[in-house]
Amino acid sequence: MKSFFKFLFMALFLVALLTACKQKTTEPIPDITQAILIDYSTNISLYSYTELALASDQLHTDILAFSMAPTKAGLEKCQGDWKATRAIWEQSEASLFGPVSTNSIDPRIDTWPIDFNRLDSILKSNVVFNQIYIEQLEESLRGFHPIEYLLFGRGASKQYTQFNPRQLEFLVALSENLKTLTSSLKSDWDINGGNFYTVFSSAGNGSSLYTTKKAAFEEIANAMVGICDEVANGKIGEVFITLDSTKEESPFAKNSLTDFTNNINGVLYAYQSKNTKADGKGLEDFVRQYNLSLDGAIKHKHASAIAALNNITMPFGEAIHLQPIQVQNAIDAINDLKNELETNLLPLIQLHIKS
Amino acid sequence: MIKQKLFAILFIGSLLFFYACRKADEVYIEKDAEWLSGGKQTFFDVTNSGFDHIFNGLTEREEENHEIGDAAFDAVFVTAPAPLNAGLGPIYNNVSCSGCHVNDGRGKPPVAGEKLSSMLFRISIPGANPHGGPNPVPGFGGQFHPRAIAGKLAEGDIDIQYMAVFGQYADGSKYALRQPFYTIKNNYTTLPSNVMLSPRIAPQVFGLGLLEAISDADIMNRADENDKDGDGISGKYNVVYDVLTNSYRLGRFGWKAGQPSLLQQSAGAYNEDMGITSFVFPLESSFGQPQYDGLNDEYEVSDSILHAVAFYMQTLGVPARRNAYDAEVLNGKKIFNAIQCAACHVPEQRTKVDVTFPSRSNQKIFPYTDLLLHNMGSGLADNRPEFLADGYEWRTPALWGIGLTKKINGHEYFLHDGRARNLEEAILWHGGEAENSNIKFRNLSLSERKALLKFLESL
Repeated sequence: MKSFFKFLFMALFLVALLTACKQKTTEPIPDITQAILIDYSTNISLYSYTELALASDQLHTDILAFSMAPTKAGLEKCQGDWKATRAIWEQSEASLFGPVSTNSIDPRIDTWPIDFNRLDSILKSNVVFNQIYIEQLEESLRGFHPIEYLLFGRGASKQYTQFNPRQLEFLVALSENLKTLTSSLKSDWDINGGNFYTVFSSAGNGSSLYTTKKAAFEEIANAMVGICDEVANGKIGEVFITLDSTKEESPFAKNSLTDFTNNINGVLYAYQSKNTKADGKGLEDFVRQYNLSLDGAIKHKHASAIAALNNITMPFGEAIHLQPIQVQNAIDAINDLKNELETNLLPLIQLHIKS
Repeated sequence: MIKQKLFAILFIGSLLFFYACRKADEVYIEKDAEWLSGGKQTFFDVTNSGFDHIFNGLTEREEENHEIGDAAFDAVFVTAPAPLNAGLGPIYNNVSCSGCHVNDGRGKPPVAGEKLSSMLFRISIPGANPHGGPNPVPGFGGQFHPRAIAGKLAEGDIDIQYMAVFGQYADGSKYALRQPFYTIKNNYTTLPSNVMLSPRIAPQVFGLGLLEAISDADIMNRADENDKDGDGISGKYNVVYDVLTNSYRLGRFGWKAGQPSLLQQSAGAYNEDMGITSFVFPLESSFGQPQYDGLNDEYEVSDSILHAVAFYMQTLGVPARRNAYDAEVLNGKKIFNAIQCAACHVPEQRTKVDVTFPSRSNQKIFPYTDLLLHNMGSGLADNRPEFLADGYEWRTPALWGIGLTKKINGHEYFLHDGRARNLEEAILWHGGEAENSNIKFRNLSLSERKALLKFLESL
């Protein structure tokens, strides 16, 4: 009987020990880093640049049609196309690395200010606006903003009857150049083109440029930080501090606030590897594996930044004078998001992705 | 017996434990470790923003100045009159600083169909200007300007052609280099027949503040103009004109060390590259030419913005090395030293003690340059003197960050004119004082050459 209790005691002890050990064993955290890089490359970069190329193509097609028979509806269509193309571009600015940067696509399609004196001179000249000529022009004479100026005019007041033949010719050439450059950007990422898609998504797995996954994840996060800094302290901050509306981008279409909002929305899309049609594995899922509250903080601060931008209820060039508190709040909220990404997201990446 | 065994196991285990700890210390905690290229201004960022990090330890006011300089560095100039960034030209090379120094990195020669953007050409005729610098070309000045504002004539175009140059390593494997040839065409007026042309790629701008903080004495002490030590490497320092003090100083910036300070370098670039006047260079670059607008207007870049841009460059940190302790990289480093690359690309420097600028004071840095001029042979010669630098001499460029060029700048064009399409070609173009190193490189085995390149890519 004694030995029975001894046996029973030992058995219970072993069961207790094994159970205790089991409780202490933590489930290994699944490695989703590869999936994130693929989904980011697919849903953010390749998707954005494909959409951008398509939208630019549509803009060019409609400008060409408008140039042949200017109508009110035709002008409105072109203006709508410009805004649609611009929205995709501004969202993609949350991922400003790779060919868009190294091939100088960004300055060639989005430079401010416009050289108006030169523009006037060009329009008065007899030069032929072919693509060789446009590609040799300064960045301040091509891309989104000269097209915007010609389509919308100062104060967004342009009428379809106000276009002269030279303006129409130049618009057609500029939109063709935008189409060409955005198409080449899409091709740079395409697996059948420059294949930066594979260069990036194979980080740490044979990539020629990104020898570690960590480097690719840092690239994603730094780009998010970079656009927050640019919007808060450059696009909004510089104009607001100097109260100089000549520094405002997209003033002709009165589109600046929309630009800022799209920039900041691009940050969330990049964080989630998400677009309007697909939602993949993103940094969001990685963060949630390790720090749920950080995920909440990023989303909360993103929402606060968007809300602060929405609180500015007049065109940005006027708001810097008439709604200074709202403008300052927007700067603060975007900087708050930037700091969260910089001081918490980046270190989390560096802590948990070693190679 | 059991006790003895237990003791032995514990003893060996302790040894292993402490040995492991010591190894970790050596690699990661060593002060002034070589992988910290910029001393305490080293940054661990291998992304697109790797060359764009503000110094640690700046005051709030200094950080603000840096940010102002950063914005001005990106500012795009346009034709006057204009409410924003007016004053471009009348003749110029580019419209912004960042247009040439993309992502604060290096420029490249144009490929087919591209305009000349991040590369320019200095020009002069034999003789010297009143300050001992290059003698300007009548009607063209000291720099060739292929662009002009509306209503003004650009100075012309440059045609670039390359000719293949073939060679062979000692192991029998072959290589092909490309030698550039430049022709000025469509020049708006007659060019003298004896014009000298010097192509220049826009150099990287990070880490320059640390190079500026190396004392003159340290640079001059390394000079060995007459090769007294007989190692085949001479090295001399340039002495150039300082506009602000109307005196002569050690030259340290530019491909031939033709500028004494980052302030003068910045003002010179504003003036010559963009046609922007400042308190340092108040005259338009077109002065004396038909393109000159004759307006004695205000400085087109204010004193404060010019200072901020110089400060921006003074306070850009340096990327840390990658894989510095990889076995192949360490082997490459040995080869780098063995074939005497380090005689000019001096790995280590120390910045001077400077209580007025503590963030760059007394730092051990690893720029891989001696900041001296060396004869690089006829293959690389531009045959155009600049102060004391003759037509064969170039200042040793820093190598820090060179391995990130492909990622951040999207290319691997090296040397003063971007003729080298990768690091290997850049080595193979070395001649003159570096000819012996080149020969030794060509005598290396394939694996040794790969190790050397891997070392360079780790910088």
